[in-house]
Amino acid sequence: MKVSVDYARCEGHGLCAEQAPGVFTLDDDAELTHHFEGAEIPDEHRTASRAAVNTCPVSALRVLS
Amino acid sequence: MTAPRSVLVVGESLAGTTAVRHLRTLGYTGPVTLIGAEKHGAYSRPPLSKVVLKDPAADRTLGLALDGLDVDVIRSAAVAADTRCRTVTTADGRQVGYEALIVATGAHARRLAASGQRGEVVLRTLDDARLLRARLADAGSAIVIGAGFLGMEVASACAARGIPVTVVDTDRPLERILGDHLSSAITTRAAAYGIRFVQATGLATLAGDPVSGVALPDGTELTADLVVTCAGEVPCVGWLAGTGLADRLGVGIDDACATTVPGVFAAGDVTYLRGDGAGPDRRAPFWSNAVAQGRTAAASALGLPPPGPAQDDYFWTEVAGLTVKIVGRLPLLGEPTTVQGNMTDGRALLTWSHVDGTSTAVAYGLRKPVAALRALAATSLPPSP
Repeated sequence: MKVSVDYARCEGHGLCAEQAPGVFTLDDDAELTHHFEGAEIPDEHRTASRAAVNTCPVSALRVLS
Repeated sequence: MTAPRSVLVVGESLAGTTAVRHLRTLGYTGPVTLIGAEKHGAYSRPPLSKVVLKDPAADRTLGLALDGLDVDVIRSAAVAADTRCRTVTTADGRQVGYEALIVATGAHARRLAASGQRGEVVLRTLDDARLLRARLADAGSAIVIGAGFLGMEVASACAARGIPVTVVDTDRPLERILGDHLSSAITTRAAAYGIRFVQATGLATLAGDPVSGVALPDGTELTADLVVTCAGEVPCVGWLAGTGLADRLGVGIDDACATTVPGVFAAGDVTYLRGDGAGPDRRAPFWSNAVAQGRTAAASALGLPPPGPAQDDYFWTEVAGLTVKIVGRLPLLGEPTTVQGNMTDGRALLTWSHVDGTSTAVAYGLRKPVAALRALAATSLPPSP
C-alpha cells in the first residue's frame, strides 16, 4: 500500500499526524512530512494510514494501491 | 460486557464510516453491516463548499475508503427501524438484524421554498455541489441566504469568480458562531473581497417561481441569476418514526453517544447532545464532532469506555480567500486575550481565555497545525502586556 499527498491541497490541519504519527509529521508552520513518500507503507502503519487518509478534511491524501 | 454478536451502522457518512473503521481498529471481528443511501458511497463534505466549487477534478478525490475493513455495505436508504425486534428495513425491501445499532444518517439541507416553488438551490451533497458549480459558470449575479460558515464559503466562491454577490441574514457574518470581534474583521474583509451584506430584520423568503430572488420582511425584494439557500440543516430521522429515538432536534445522545434506547448509539449531524442540569440540549453538527462521535459510538457499541469526549471543538472555514482554524469553545465574547500578528494583514494568532482554565485558539489566515492549536487551547493564557 502506498499513500500520496497532494501538497497543493494540504492546509496543514495535521489530523493525519494525529492518526498516523509514524507516517506523517508536521512542523510548527504546519508543513507536512510524509515519511514513506513513494514507498510502501510498512504493515504496522497500514491501519493508521487508512484512518489518516479518511480523516484528512481536505481530501489531500490518497491510497494508491 | 461481551462484544455484540453483530453491529449495524446506518448512514454512509463521515460519522458512519469513522464508526466502522473504529470498530475494526478496536479489534472487533464480528459482522459489521453499513446501510447507506449515497449512490456515490461515502465522501468528504467540507471540500464541497470550497475546492469542489472551483475545480471539477476535486470530485474524484472525496471518497472515504472502506477498503480492508470487511464490512457488508448495503446501498439502499433505511426506511424503518424496530428497536424491539432489533431490525432495520431498507428501501429495497431488506430487513437487517443487529445487536448493536449506530445511527449516523446525518442531515438534509434546510429548505425555504414554499410548497410547489421550484428552483431552490442548496448545498449539502456532491450532486448539489455539481449543480451549483454549473450555475456559477454562467451566473451574472448571486444572492446567498445565510451568513454562517456555509453561506460565507459559497459567497466567497461567487466573489472569487467575479460574480457580484449579496449575503442576507439577520445577524452579521459568522456573528452567531464566532462572536463580534472575528465577525467584524471578517465582515470588513468580505466587503473588500466583493461580498455585499444585507442585514434583514427577520426571515427572508424566496421570491419567484422558479426562484429568482428573495423578499425581506421590510418589503425589499432583491433579484439575482442565482439564489443559494444556506440556512442550516435538518436531521435525517424520518426512518426512526415510532422508535422514540428522535425528536425535532434529532437523536439525543449522552457523552458516550448512547441514546435512550438500549443497544442504540448515534453519531454525527443526526445527533444532539442531551442537556443535563448544567446546560440545555445542544446541536453541534460539525465535522470534528462527527469524527469524535463516530469513534465514541463504536467504543460504546462494543461496551468499551469512550476514547475521548464526544465533542471535539475544532472548526475551520475559508472565507474571502482566508483560512480560519479554531480550537476551543464558541462563541467568543469580547476582545481576545492575546493577539500575535495583524488581523488587517490576514495573518494573526488569537486566543480567548475562559474562566474554566481553557482557551479558544484561532489561527486567522495563518498556517498552524491543529495539534499546536489544541495545545494552546488546553492552557489558560495570561493577557498580553
